[in-house]
Amino acid sequence: MRSPRVTLTLVAAGVLLSGCGEVPNGSVPLCLGPGRNAGSLILMAQSIPSAAYVPCISDFPAGWTFGGGRIRNGHTEFWMDSDRAGVAAVRVLLTRDCDHSNAVEVPPEAGEPLMKIYEEPIALPPTFSSNRYYVFAGGCVTYRFSFLRGATFAQAVEATKALTFVARARGVSLLAQEGVILCGRGVRCPG
Amino acid sequence: METIGHDAVPATELRAADERGPIRSKRQRRPSGRPPPLPRELGAGGMFWIGALVFLVAFTIFLLVTQVGNSFERQESVLSRWIAGWRTGWLNRLALIANGLGATVFTRTLRLGTIVALLVFRRWRHLIVFVVSLLFVAWLTNNLGTYSIRPRPFGARIIGGWEGSSFPSRPIAELSVALVGVLYTLVPRGRLRDVGKFVAAALLTALAGAEVYLALNHPADILFALVLGVGIPLVALRTFAPTSVFPVQYRKGRAAHLDVGGPRGAAIRQAVQDQLGMTVLELKPFGLAGSGGSTPLRLTVAGDPDRHLFAKLYAQTHLRADRSYKLGRTILYGTLEDEKSYNSVRRLVQYEDYLLLVMHDFGIPCAKTYGFVEITPEREYLLVTEFLEGGTEITEADVDDAVIDDALATIRRMWEVGVAHRDVKPANIMVRDGKIMLIDLAFAEIRPSPWRQAVDLANMMLVLALRTDPDRVYQRALRVFSPDEIAEAFAATRSVTMPSQSRNMLREHRKAGRDILARFRELAPQRPPIAIQRWSVRRIGITLAVAVGFLLALALIVDNLQTGAL
Repeated sequence: MRSPRVTLTLVAAGVLLSGCGEVPNGSVPLCLGPGRNAGSLILMAQSIPSAAYVPCISDFPAGWTFGGGRIRNGHTEFWMDSDRAGVAAVRVLLTRDCDHSNAVEVPPEAGEPLMKIYEEPIALPPTFSSNRYYVFAGGCVTYRFSFLRGATFAQAVEATKALTFVARARGVSLLAQEGVILCGRGVRCPG
Repeated sequence: METIGHDAVPATELRAADERGPIRSKRQRRPSGRPPPLPRELGAGGMFWIGALVFLVAFTIFLLVTQVGNSFERQESVLSRWIAGWRTGWLNRLALIANGLGATVFTRTLRLGTIVALLVFRRWRHLIVFVVSLLFVAWLTNNLGTYSIRPRPFGARIIGGWEGSSFPSRPIAELSVALVGVLYTLVPRGRLRDVGKFVAAALLTALAGAEVYLALNHPADILFALVLGVGIPLVALRTFAPTSVFPVQYRKGRAAHLDVGGPRGAAIRQAVQDQLGMTVLELKPFGLAGSGGSTPLRLTVAGDPDRHLFAKLYAQTHLRADRSYKLGRTILYGTLEDEKSYNSVRRLVQYEDYLLLVMHDFGIPCAKTYGFVEITPEREYLLVTEFLEGGTEITEADVDDAVIDDALATIRRMWEVGVAHRDVKPANIMVRDGKIMLIDLAFAEIRPSPWRQAVDLANMMLVLALRTDPDRVYQRALRVFSPDEIAEAFAATRSVTMPSQSRNMLREHRKAGRDILARFRELAPQRPPIAIQRWSVRRIGITLAVAVGFLLALALIVDNLQTGAL
């Protein structure tokens, strides 16, 4: 039988050597749905309490995976990797404000939430790079496309279709049913 | 029917007194289940933190898999809301100041400061255990936060900066691991550490209070982080770098020497009494300067009259030193001789005890062994031998032809019976009544390689020449060794084959214009040097493994510095 010291050492070594692992599902900001963990979405809503919407991933198109994310007060970002467009091919940012002065406004597509959309093309294929801004009450979501050489607009369309929004009001309502209060836009809290 | 009980004759009286103890009183067998003289040091504190860790893990799993979790969330939310109702301007400012204790800049300064201090004081063991604990806590905190993302407290406005999941509280985990690191690797045990524990508790309480007050974390997040941040480094340091074996001290002295006062001193007295039947009246360190490995002691035992015994305390540190030494030799030279390390302290001390008996039986002049006692099972043992009363180290003794002849005859005898000392140096040669005595047989070997026997001869001749002169020693050596044998000895000799004490003394003589080694080589018949490099697949494999391990460790450190885990 191994001694506790050896076991502890092996555990520590395993931990230290396990730097490159799969990103677990708990941190993926999947849109609301049965069996889905809403922790990331709530945390995003808490990071920008004024935002009327938070971005989410409805489903991953073929070849796209969740790359990682960082949620902190005042700033949230996550990114998706593509087998064709590259690592962090799309970066999604949620902030209080955003500078879209160099972008042009485009009309929203049918069925999209009520918000203003701006496009800021930076580079055309073969090295596509572009910013898209969704400006709404109390917040702004930016999609930053930065594709590898050879990727096409088709990948941008795929990514855009995978990304959507959840209204804060819906989250507030669902959480209220659970007996907790999500402070922020439309809900005043003490302190 | 004959019964065996209290009236039975003690076993010791059934046999003639052997030579394994000068004074015999009642020995006592430790009954099963009774703790050893010096139990392992995890202590009540360590057990508490392990228990807390197990409880919290079980509790968290319980919350996650049952509906109780939602209720718990609601209760914590109610608490946050209630606390937020008491917020005032000055309390907010005070809480924000206290919250600064968890700022990355502060905790990182503490962590890196501790690492730098440990590097400066060359406390490698503490350093490794601390860094691994740090990385483990950072990894665990990060992964727990990623796998089970928990929102920040509901029902209250969040004040202050935060990042990532609320569970577990990262600032609390980072501060606590840093504080435990400072306390257990830099602050000596005693009053200073006790005061430090209060200070650390106060700092952690202040940060925890601020986190809850500002609605940055739930109480459960803080509690869990506290258990991780305190428990993991504390248990790791107590397990891998116990204070009794790796004391934090700033006085000069070799790290290998153990403190024989306090609980260890009492344990030694009890162990010698119970296991050898001798009553120790006094024990004190003896000849520490000449000992690089074990902790040498002089015991005064009760008798008529009282007498001195010599004892050597071996601990796991010595085992590891032996392993590192042999690993280093294997990488640098290959398998010159037996480079297999001992796999337990018990076997190391058992081996030396056995070697002393064998040497004694062969008529090699060495101290008589009285056996060894167990202080902590598999961790600490004490070898007890005769104390060479009146003996002086050869560097301080008169060395005449008789002493030279006796020393050389001892080597000859060792050649004949097939043993080697392997550490022939001034500190290991005592002179008493014109005769030499060899001490410290921990490295000795039965059936050594011819190369090693030749090296023993050269080392003995060098020691003798340090006290006299090479020509005289060479002439005396010709009485017991052939010129070819002496030539072989010096052909086998390299800087690495000489113990560092001899090497340093030879260097001093060389600086004074007296090159003893060169003179011996002039005197002996010419013979090409004997190669000491031994190449094998094993040596290449070990060297590559060590190199890869080193690079991996370096990469991990750089990566963790970049990500902020360190």
